Amino acid sequence: MIAGRGRQRIRPPRRGLHGDEVDFENTWVTIEAAFREIHTKNASRLSYEELYRHAYRIVLKKKGEQLYKNVHDFEKGWLSREVRGDIQQLLSPNLLAHAQSVASTTANERRVSGEKFLKGLKQAWGDHQVCMSMLADVLMYMDRVYCQDHRRPSIYTTAMVLFRDEILKSPLSATEERIILGLLNHVILEQIQMERDGDVIDKHLIKSCVHMLDGLHADDLESEDQRLYHVSFEKEYLDTSRDFYRAESELMLRESDAGAYCKRAKKRIHEEEDRCRATLMESTSSKIREVVEAELIQGRIRELVEMDSGVHFMIDNDRLEELNLIYDLNARVDERKSEVTRSIQKRIMELGTEINNEALAASQAPAPAPPLNTDGGDKSKQAQEKNVNLQTVAAIKWVEDVLGLKDKFDRIWRQSFESDSLLDTAMFNSFRDFINSTAFPRSSENISLFIDENMKKGIKGKTEMEIDQVLDKAITLIKYVQDKDLFERYYKKHLCRRLIMNKSVSNEVEKQMIEKMKQELGPSFTSKLDAMFKDMSISADLTSGYKRHVEGLGDRDPKRIDLSISVLTKMTWPMESINGSGESQEGNRPKCNFPPAVEKVRRGFEQYYAEKHSGRELTWLPNMGTADIKAVFPKVPQKDGTFKERRHELNVSTYAMVVLLLFNELPADECLTFEEIQAQTNIPKNDLVRNLQSLAVAPRTRVLLKEPMSKEVKPTDKFYFNEGFKGNFVKIKVGVVSSGNKVESDQQRKETEKKNDDERNFVIEAAVVRIMKQRKELPHQKLVLETISQLASQFKPEVTMIKKRIESLIEREYLERIEGAAVDSYRYLA
Amino acid sequence: MDTKKKFELERALATESQAVSAGKLKDDNPLDTTETFRQFCEACRRGDLKVCQEMIQAGVNVNARDRHDYTPLILASLCGHYEVIQLLLENGALCERDTFQGERCLYNALNDRIRNLLLSYDYAKSSNPLQPLAAHITSLLTRPEPATADLAIEAYDQSFHVHKFLLAARSPYFAKKLRAAPSTSTWALPQNIPSRSLGTALQYLYFSEVSMRRAMHGLNDEEETLVVKGIDKIGRQLEMDRLFDHITEVADRRLLRQKRAEELIRGRDQLETWFNENVLQNKVQVETANVDNLKWNRDNSIYADILLRADDAEEDYESDETDAASPAPSGSSTPPARSILGLPVKSRSPSRSRKPRKSTIYPAHKAMLLRSEYFSTMLNSPFREAQQTPYLQIVTLDCSPRVLETVLTFLYTERSDFGLDVAIDVLFTADQLFIEKLKQRAALIISTLGNGNSSTVESENPRGETDAEEVIDIYEVIRAGWDTRVQRLEEFGARYIAYRLESYIDTLEFAEIVQESARRVKGRQETDTIELVDDIRYYLSDRFRLRFEDSGLEEMMEQRGDADSTAEAMEGLGVQNEDIDVEKNDRPLGKEIEEQFAVGAIRTLDGEIAGDEFAQDAMNYQILLGKIDQLLENLNLDA
Repeated sequence: MIAGRGRQRIRPPRRGLHGDEVDFENTWVTIEAAFREIHTKNASRLSYEELYRHAYRIVLKKKGEQLYKNVHDFEKGWLSREVRGDIQQLLSPNLLAHAQSVASTTANERRVSGEKFLKGLKQAWGDHQVCMSMLADVLMYMDRVYCQDHRRPSIYTTAMVLFRDEILKSPLSATEERIILGLLNHVILEQIQMERDGDVIDKHLIKSCVHMLDGLHADDLESEDQRLYHVSFEKEYLDTSRDFYRAESELMLRESDAGAYCKRAKKRIHEEEDRCRATLMESTSSKIREVVEAELIQGRIRELVEMDSGVHFMIDNDRLEELNLIYDLNARVDERKSEVTRSIQKRIMELGTEINNEALAASQAPAPAPPLNTDGGDKSKQAQEKNVNLQTVAAIKWVEDVLGLKDKFDRIWRQSFESDSLLDTAMFNSFRDFINSTAFPRSSENISLFIDENMKKGIKGKTEMEIDQVLDKAITLIKYVQDKDLFERYYKKHLCRRLIMNKSVSNEVEKQMIEKMKQELGPSFTSKLDAMFKDMSISADLTSGYKRHVEGLGDRDPKRIDLSISVLTKMTWPMESINGSGESQEGNRPKCNFPPAVEKVRRGFEQYYAEKHSGRELTWLPNMGTADIKAVFPKVPQKDGTFKERRHELNVSTYAMVVLLLFNELPADECLTFEEIQAQTNIPKNDLVRNLQSLAVAPRTRVLLKEPMSKEVKPTDKFYFNEGFKGNFVKIKVGVVSSGNKVESDQQRKETEKKNDDERNFVIEAAVVRIMKQRKELPHQKLVLETISQLASQFKPEVTMIKKRIESLIEREYLERIEGAAVDSYRYLA
Repeated sequence: MDTKKKFELERALATESQAVSAGKLKDDNPLDTTETFRQFCEACRRGDLKVCQEMIQAGVNVNARDRHDYTPLILASLCGHYEVIQLLLENGALCERDTFQGERCLYNALNDRIRNLLLSYDYAKSSNPLQPLAAHITSLLTRPEPATADLAIEAYDQSFHVHKFLLAARSPYFAKKLRAAPSTSTWALPQNIPSRSLGTALQYLYFSEVSMRRAMHGLNDEEETLVVKGIDKIGRQLEMDRLFDHITEVADRRLLRQKRAEELIRGRDQLETWFNENVLQNKVQVETANVDNLKWNRDNSIYADILLRADDAEEDYESDETDAASPAPSGSSTPPARSILGLPVKSRSPSRSRKPRKSTIYPAHKAMLLRSEYFSTMLNSPFREAQQTPYLQIVTLDCSPRVLETVLTFLYTERSDFGLDVAIDVLFTADQLFIEKLKQRAALIISTLGNGNSSTVESENPRGETDAEEVIDIYEVIRAGWDTRVQRLEEFGARYIAYRLESYIDTLEFAEIVQESARRVKGRQETDTIELVDDIRYYLSDRFRLRFEDSGLEEMMEQRGDADSTAEAMEGLGVQNEDIDVEKNDRPLGKEIEEQFAVGAIRTLDGEIAGDEFAQDAMNYQILLGKIDQLLENLNLDA
């Protein structure tokens, strides 16, 4: 160094720091002694500064490597000489013995000796950690400088590895081959098993041992997945748990019912979760859950669901809680919950089919043969009538049963299945399947009848809310129906009767119903129904308009007949049901001969109508009408002996009115035969029979007398005016037999279906043409698929039907086949 | 990052100047027309690191501007002095995007390297230089381990654990109060002040950035008024007049930052004053032999909770250790060091009679020592130093009192202005105590001031001539750099040597250090480089290239592109780092040249007298490179 005369010059570093070699051996002796003190917990007398300075100097003198090695050796020696011996002391003979064979020691003894071992190990580990962190503090400079420069693991890490090698991986004793780590795992597992069996164990102690395993790594790279806990303990834990739960599930399946099994399984799952939290590591939680679920649920769920006390039993006995358990278990292993879904669907189908069969049985009960296979034509009329009534009751019962079933499953769904949407769909499908089952073709009709019943009687005296509920129920059922067009047909028919015969309890409710249907099924579905209502209101206007018109004519005729009329649009109203029993064809329907007084009114109205709407033709439907007649019966002696003329107002059907008027012109004791009446009135035979039945057979409204007196009406029967008619009321309603809405006879049903099919044909053709018009060319398969999807909201068309329609369209040159196309294809012809 | 458009900048500039003239905003770059500042600017222009460092240490404002509106940073970046720019930035020069001066600085940057350097110091990323200190003190409020608080303030629902020395330094009220009764361990908050107000006031005291909004978070109007009043009251009681001012919300970010910066400086100054008046004033000097008898009570007037001891240098006492180094330098260097402290140490006369060795004891506060990882580990450990004892623990530090004082000053005040003479010791101590910032600081001081009187500006020292005296032992510096892992020092050393290679190349020490450098690379392969030699070669080429470029050498080469031997030699030089044909410079020739060089004659390679100095430079470069290779060959090293 050159002597400086400058004001500032750099000084050489201090001697003690720099320049001289440190006496490594002596310094190390000091350090080692201090480390011993630390290990024997006498650190508080040691000076940190001094120790640090020693280590610092050694490292600064490039002796870091030697220091590192010495510390390593020291620690290794300490662990293998002092600590290992202490641990081995803890191994009581019964701990060792049972490791080989579980015999002769009681659980309690094993627990106590196990805990002793765990405690000792935990203590050793804790001490080691504390000592090493102190050592690391002292050797901080070495860690930072030497270890970093030379890419060595920090001394603390190294010491932890030493603990693993010198303690955990050391043999149990000089003569044993097993290592302490294995015993540790075994003891922990045994403790856990004790807890599973209901004992109380020291969770905290185990947790600390588990923490130790988690802090150590199986390899020297310290990679995350190589933690001793994962590599050595966790695997064993999962394996033993798997065995345990497999055995337990077998036992439980044998010995307890499904509900108890579910409860137990759920409890076990929770136990394992708690165990991971309190005793083991959280990270195991998902793995052990998988194991438990696999053993307790996955392989068993099917058996469980199908047990005698399984889902079937639970549904039938309303075990909502157990259903919830089994649902929960299934959901754990299978997000589609297929097992529970399957059994639920099966049960719905079973119950649904039962209801279907019951309804069929009820409706066919009086008939000797099932109605499906017989056509009721050759049955006696009365039997058929009765049968029809029974069927109607059965139909309504069917609907109520279905609704009951739906309620039941809705409740289960809400309370047990946590409103699961997958199950909702599954249940919906099942309901739809049995409601639309081909073995039970009456759903549409039944539902419509149910509504009809409610509209006519059921909703009387109910609050708005109750009515709303009924309507909603009806709507739910409609949603299940696949052949919506068929339903529409029935509904129209029933509605038509209600409207014309004025049977509805409330028009408001009818409209509400239509509104609801519109919401659920779309406006196209209800457009015709709407039109029917419109016709009714127009008719009311017409009636009042005509009344004013007649009054305006001036000459007030005392014998004037009041007319109330309904003008129905032919297209919107179901003419087949209006035209009567469907036997007569529309075209050749005989015109009824009205009496002159009535005929005059008819003409008058026709004239009036023609003025208002030119070019429209009116067809009169006397079979749908009613008339109020004032009838005067001759004086007969009263109870008090006076003679009194009796007047009654009779409400009769139009036909009956026509018939009764015949007797006006007849002397009192003369008669008319059935044939005479028919010839004079030209009323269709069927209708006439029915009307005469209600006039001459029904006891309360026997205005006519029949000879001979029997229930049947035969063409040769004679009819007299019943002068001695007695009625308790002034107004008497003469009902026409079988005027209400009832279940169709099988013949009728066939008729309806045929008509429905005819209409479907049009709809299908329309759809095909619509599609082709848009696409111009399309392969067959695609066309069919598109047609089906277009019509899905109305009904499910059969493929053969579509094929036929396509054929027919080709014949009529709407379409043509494309020659030589690879697949069958069609082209639209404009 | 999007840059502002020109008109936006102009508008911002106009608003800014308005705000400045209205006195609302402090000018970031105040006009400075003093002669010192002019010299500073001049140094930045020329790239004179040493002058720059000296002026900065003398306290010149690095962010001022000269009469032409130039700031030192703009000048340095315009002239392309990378190291100077780094120095300026490290010392708080601002270069902020979206400000007029900042953009100007970036725009003027000579090259991309400088531009990137400037961008990396953008304010958004860098923080206030006092922030580490502030952050540490703030953390003391919540730090659980080790327990350093010595005063508990009891509010009705909460108690705060605080440090007496900080309260005394920051609040005149507490200073008085505690002076009267230093051993108080609790202080009750006046009943009518909400604890929330106290909390806010304490945060302010502890250098935390408090804002009204945060203080009032989650309070309803009524409580808010109460708390605000409480803050006002407490501010007046504790005589912290600026407290209320400080927490009032300021929307403008720049103003906020300015306020914060001012506040930090104010707080630091308070702490510094207190530190100087209490800690430094109360240091004690005793004979080393008697140190153990020194007893300090826990309840002392400056609330110290630990004593730090530093012993005087040992040379004077342990004669057996002194070897080659004559005692003269240490003898002559120590007294001035002492005199700076202004202490009665003078008793030690230069006569160096064997007087008993002395130790200096500094009272200190654990809370502040925790800034060093060494102390934080020590005080958290179960060792003796962390034990509670009736008398304060004395912890010895392995450094001179002067260095210890420097370290303490840094820990308490973030100030790190010390001379070159202790720089190496500070470097080692900072390394030992894990105070990274101080370490960097020491390295900075060595590498900027270490060049001695000779300027680093090459044009002023074209021949690599050295001063008659050297201020540093460059080998020591390089070794210290290696030992403490400071790259900067090795580079500095290489540069230093490269610029004076003529006087080092033949020394034994140089050969030794080259060998040491070679040994540093573990498992060295034949082809591996020796870092030091590479660095020296790099700086050597730098040294000559700059000279040639400055003088328009290449043009001259064009003109003289004939068979002239000088040109030949220079061609080899024109290509950087190209292998020089060593055989040309074989031994006898080298020796010959050496002799000529020693005589100082201006000659060509062939011994002819060269026409001018450029030719001479070229030859010298060749000679030096040749010598390095030769040296390596001798040492059996290949690089």
